[in-house]
Amino acid sequence: MNQSADIALRIEGITKRFPGVLANNDITFEVRVGEVHGLLGENGAGKTTLMNILYGFHQPDSGKIYIGGREVRITSSRVAVDLGIGMVHQHFRLADNLTALENVILGIPPKRPPLLDLESSRARFEGLTNEYGLDLRPSTPIWQLPVGDRQWLEILKLLFRDAHVLILDEPTSVLAPSQIEQLFKTIRRLADDGRSIIFISHKLREMKEVADRVTVLRDGQVVATVDPRQTSPTQLAHMMVGREVFLDRRPRPPSESRRAVLVVDSLSCQDDRGIPALRDLSLTVHAGEIVGVAGVAGNGQRELAECIAGLRRPVSGTIRISEEFIAGVTRDPSLLGYIPEDRRKTGLVADFTVEENLIIKTFDQSPFSRRGVLQRHAISDRANTLIQEYDIKTPHPATPIRHLSGGNQQRVVVARELNAEPALLVASQPTRGLDVASVEALQGMLLEERNRGAAVLFISTELSEVLAVSDRILVFYRGEIMGELMAETADVNLIGEMMLGHRGHKDPAA
Amino acid sequence: MRAYVNERGRIGLSGLRELVLSGTGPILGVGLALVVSAGLILARGVNPLVAYAAMLEGAFGSVAALANTGVRAAPIILSGFAVGLGYKAGLWNIGGTGQIYLGATTATIVGIIPLPVPAWIHLLIAVMAGFVGGALWMFVPAYLCAYRGVNLVCTTLMLDYVAGFFVSWLLHEPSPLAEKGATFPMSPLILPSARLPILMEGTSLHAGFVLAVVLGVVLHFVLHSTTFGFRTRMVGKSPEAARYAGIDVVRWILLVLLICGGLAGLAGAGEVLGLKLRLFDYFEGFVGFEGLALAILVEGNPLGMILAGIFFGSLKAGAGKMQIVTGIGTPMALVIEALAVLFVVAIGFGQRGGVAQPARKKMRGEKR
Repeated sequence: MNQSADIALRIEGITKRFPGVLANNDITFEVRVGEVHGLLGENGAGKTTLMNILYGFHQPDSGKIYIGGREVRITSSRVAVDLGIGMVHQHFRLADNLTALENVILGIPPKRPPLLDLESSRARFEGLTNEYGLDLRPSTPIWQLPVGDRQWLEILKLLFRDAHVLILDEPTSVLAPSQIEQLFKTIRRLADDGRSIIFISHKLREMKEVADRVTVLRDGQVVATVDPRQTSPTQLAHMMVGREVFLDRRPRPPSESRRAVLVVDSLSCQDDRGIPALRDLSLTVHAGEIVGVAGVAGNGQRELAECIAGLRRPVSGTIRISEEFIAGVTRDPSLLGYIPEDRRKTGLVADFTVEENLIIKTFDQSPFSRRGVLQRHAISDRANTLIQEYDIKTPHPATPIRHLSGGNQQRVVVARELNAEPALLVASQPTRGLDVASVEALQGMLLEERNRGAAVLFISTELSEVLAVSDRILVFYRGEIMGELMAETADVNLIGEMMLGHRGHKDPAA
Repeated sequence: MRAYVNERGRIGLSGLRELVLSGTGPILGVGLALVVSAGLILARGVNPLVAYAAMLEGAFGSVAALANTGVRAAPIILSGFAVGLGYKAGLWNIGGTGQIYLGATTATIVGIIPLPVPAWIHLLIAVMAGFVGGALWMFVPAYLCAYRGVNLVCTTLMLDYVAGFFVSWLLHEPSPLAEKGATFPMSPLILPSARLPILMEGTSLHAGFVLAVVLGVVLHFVLHSTTFGFRTRMVGKSPEAARYAGIDVVRWILLVLLICGGLAGLAGAGEVLGLKLRLFDYFEGFVGFEGLALAILVEGNPLGMILAGIFFGSLKAGAGKMQIVTGIGTPMALVIEALAVLFVVAIGFGQRGGVAQPARKKMRGEKR
């Protein structure tokens, strides 16, 4: 290794072109030894492509990569690992049926093949967990680990491989506020040990909190590398999006209606593994109100949404929408609009066209079909109308939806679900994975629905978003409601505690 | 907003244009298969051009040759539909063989019983019996797949063997279906009233070929232009989204699979009612698996299966002539079919949708 350089990694003039897209355009930045370097940018700004180049998944069309002052060619992830580059992907790469220890040594060539180095590795595993104060047992199977622990395990994998440059891709998206705090402490500690961390995120606040320097990417280009302590969030957002954005709490007219639209009464249900996900849960959403559900992912929010949509059968309890009991999927679009959590898998058929996706719930109704035969004209008329009305950017109504950006895909879902002006809208993590401009637009739409008089149940794991969008907030923990607060006056710290299971007193204003 | 990636020829096309454009893969695959097979023929010391010329003549050189091609193509096309329809619904029916046996059996049973009805009604009932027989044989795997999540490939494949032995047992005395005193296990002759009409005098080309072509066109229309097809494709492309849209996916899978079984049953019925006129022990040959190859070759496209099925039929029809002229055995036809499928799968790997693409992305660890 080059002793003189305090530059751990230098990327110089990296350009990568995909058919029709210039993903990375002449990107240059460097990461110092012992530095936490933030990489800030919207989806599609080129962050992932750049990291995939660093990790050997893609080859750049041009440009150079230096590690410790030496030019390298990263032809595969194996080479990347050998060079000391490690990556924690946003979606974890763990084998569910193996133990924590087995996952950590997976892919490391054993010293005496074909035997595994389980015993010596176990000692090292325990050494590392002690050093970082982690409560991880090596023999626990992955599927039993909570998400936060899985992330530690991913980091542990990198430490096991002696990675000097650690790439963390949106690592906070699955964590509770206190867990995020712990992660940031660990990141600082890793940096103090002389490792370099590339921290990828689109959350401005996190950048300010953890990064020493931030490189902002937009449209595949570096906008600037700045010191986050001397740059305001507004400036950062402006650099990232290229224009002013508004994500703060919006003013809204008071709602007079007290008409209950969604009434959930002592609902209990199980998750996919048969473990209780909701326990005797009751809630009401009124017309003209946005009720936000806050909580760490995996505390029953998804199951609640699925029960309301009729996709999951409750063990006990009832759900009523506008006095109608829900049993099975509701096919009346004027009753329920549902934006599911997993847009690409559940909300859309990726291989279907835009116009087909706009009618997946109504294709067998007039005017889209007559006596079992699809009416092409009616279908494309509807598509053209909705594409205009909801500003969906697509080259053609018959373009497969997977070619659209995440934001436009979500617009298709929204157009389909809101077109019939449903009495209740359930939006489950609707802004997840969207760029800032789309988030802004979507939050605006939720508010419009509320002002129209719809009842809105808004589920999000991003607390700041729940605070900005909701009228009233319910905090979920292990399938129960820990407390209820008015968003206008809510105390963030109190919500944070509730998210970890501290039962709050009921907000007198709520 | 991020740009979309245009894939040439895969956007916004339906019907004939799509068929032409999606045909490049299969045509390339067939071409490569012919080249490699030429090497095999050459290794036997025969000029491949001479061999292929003989094949062409045997398949298309005369009216009789054309008829022969049609006769060979019909069951392959029908059993292709049995796989292709399932493919569109995301299901792999590997049990064409078994369903063909059972369809042939039920059609035979109806075909050898004198019924007091006009001939065309007798024929119609016999053909329908073939459909029902195939569908019934599919019922157990279909139920297990839809309601119990049992792997369809395993169940249908295993039942192929059961069906073969079951039919064999039916054709051995003292079974009522066995021809008395026959030297080879077989059923009595199909009654003339239940036979498929011959299309060309002096040849064996029967109406089963027309049935296959018409069904292909109908299937194409159904898949692209009806709510049935929309539902089926949605279940195939994304069962989760289908459930979300209010479709009873489990029952739909059951229904589609029963129809698949029925289509294979029709292939069996066509063979006994049109060509063989008896149910013979182990009559099926490789038709069930050729149907599978056919469906993979053109990704379950019904019109494509008609064309590719005629190609397969021509290979089999031409192979006989090739054997006479050059001494290269008829199995060369199956070799070419198999190579074509392998090449298409290899070419398509990663470039097309379906099963290959996500699997490959997963392997390479890509996000988008």
